[in-house]
Amino acid sequence: MTVGSEVKGCYASVKNIEATLQILANKAQDVDSQQAFNEAQQIISEVKESLNQQVIHLTREEPQYNK
Amino acid sequence: MPDFPEWLEVILRSLILMVVLFTITKILGSKQLSQMNVFEYVTGVVLGGIVAIHTFDPNSHIIYAIIAMLIWFFVPYAVQKIALKSKVFRNFTYGKSTVFIQDGKIMEDNLKKQGYSTDDLLEKLRDKDVFLATDVEFAVLEPDGTLNVLPKRENRPLTAKDLGIKLAPQKEPQTVIMDGKVLYESLANLNLNLAWLETELEKLNVSIENVFLGQADTDGQLYVDLFDDTIAVPSPNEKPLLLATMKKCQADLELFALATENPQSKTLYQTNSKKLQAAIDKIEKYLN
Repeated sequence: MTVGSEVKGCYASVKNIEATLQILANKAQDVDSQQAFNEAQQIISEVKESLNQQVIHLTREEPQYNK
Repeated sequence: MPDFPEWLEVILRSLILMVVLFTITKILGSKQLSQMNVFEYVTGVVLGGIVAIHTFDPNSHIIYAIIAMLIWFFVPYAVQKIALKSKVFRNFTYGKSTVFIQDGKIMEDNLKKQGYSTDDLLEKLRDKDVFLATDVEFAVLEPDGTLNVLPKRENRPLTAKDLGIKLAPQKEPQTVIMDGKVLYESLANLNLNLAWLETELEKLNVSIENVFLGQADTDGQLYVDLFDDTIAVPSPNEKPLLLATMKKCQADLELFALATENPQSKTLYQTNSKKLQAAIDKIEKYLN
């Protein structure tokens, strides 16, 4: 696997984490855990954004993906 | 009452007195026999005695029985109410607790005052799984005769607090399915509905009729036991899976940071790895 596809895989996992956190935050009854899940979700979505940029950047560097 | 056959009167008396006695005991509050103080104990015995005498004696007036019972009801009831308000009165009627061991030292005078021998004390301590008197920091004899023991710090069971582990608060789980039937009230207590339950059961691939017992925790995880014990049910794994994925991603990012030679990418991976670690730290206690 190239670095590009590895980073893409990681990006997909991060998306998965974000979605799961969202589900947990919605299901949680307790205010504290709800808040913790929401905060974590915010951090993860920042990570997701930044990784997204990196994926685009790497795609440009690896021209075989542009075909 | 001559026009009544006597056996019929006995039946009637029994029924009436039974109703009166049960109503009175209900109002006076229910306590285990061993938890009663002297006052409550005497009241109970006397009330029982009155009923016993008057049920099968056709010559006695039933009205006397009821008067006596009302007095034996009202006085203890008043005592109960006053004792709730006044500490001094409570000490008198319910008794006070006595300190037997303080700062790890046995109070011999208090033992003597309560009529406890050293053997009695040791027996009570053994009751609480303490075999060495020096292991006790503080012990107090309650008015109902039980000894409550506070062991020294190093002899207490280890708790999460001692280990410095942070734990998420956990509320009581609710039983949502019993004998294949849905309990709507407990579902509502968790802000969940039948649609949720059906989805969760579908995920487990079982039908409601097959579930002997189903319980849900406050995080909306369903645990079931089936009538058919040969079927294996997966336990909820959403949270452990999430934690594992987060840790894997964090490790991946660290790897990328080490592998890349581009300084800009390196810092990007490093900051994101740190952020993920922060997120893990934030929610790890809720995922265990």
